[in-house]
Amino acid sequence: MVHALHEVHRVLAPGGVLIDARPDSRVAASIARRRPRGFQVFGSVRTNRVELANDLASDRAITRVVGEGLFRRKRRGRFWHRVPFASLPDLRQYLREHLRFVHGATWVVDEVTRRRYANDQFVIRRAVRFEILEARRDLRAGN
Amino acid sequence: MASHRVAELGHVGKHVPSVSSILRPDPLHELREWGGERLVRRKRVLDLGCGDGRFALGIAPLASTVDGLDPDADAIRTARRSARRSGLGNVRFGVGAAQRLPYRDGAFDVVLLSWTL
Repeated sequence: MVHALHEVHRVLAPGGVLIDARPDSRVAASIARRRPRGFQVFGSVRTNRVELANDLASDRAITRVVGEGLFRRKRRGRFWHRVPFASLPDLRQYLREHLRFVHGATWVVDEVTRRRYANDQFVIRRAVRFEILEARRDLRAGN
Repeated sequence: MASHRVAELGHVGKHVPSVSSILRPDPLHELREWGGERLVRRKRVLDLGCGDGRFALGIAPLASTVDGLDPDADAIRTARRSARRSGLGNVRFGVGAAQRLPYRDGAFDVVLLSWTL
């Protein structure tokens, strides 16, 4: 990852920006039933361990290139994104195939409630984080 | 095909592979969250890990040029097809890896690592 970021720095003009955006694995995603007005939370779902480790490695890589003076942190933030599903079984199918999430949800409603509303529309509401970094001149190389 | 089913359902996910870009935020929505169109307007943009070109094609009308790079040759074929259909002349896609970028020094004003790093 660090090598890739060195390459990004090379192809960026001085003062150019790197935008790093990815799902925010530090925050659990919520599962909610769509209602005529708003949503009813049914549970939550976490990121799996492998992806958590990958995200930490990405964070470390960014920190390293900032420490090397190649980039300057300009701004960061987070926004929420809803992934919609036609039904609860469809959402569960999605979780079974998903590469980032654990395959099972943690429910805050009982099974009877889940069955009753299984054919309603559902969403997974997940956080997306982003950071904008400015490319600095590489003083080490004299560039 | 999964994407057709999603389209029929109004972008409701129904047995869509989890890596499908269709379930990601809309490019312009994502751009607004990052700070707005000014980030890419009339800029030379590189979308690293562009996949099927979802983001690159979404911002191409704003940017000066957009290059998309991804190691997945199938995804790049899809991206090129989409670019041809859209008629956008300022987008190019290539197969490659971030560890060795096939571009000259200082070639871009903006590099996006959108759901990539």
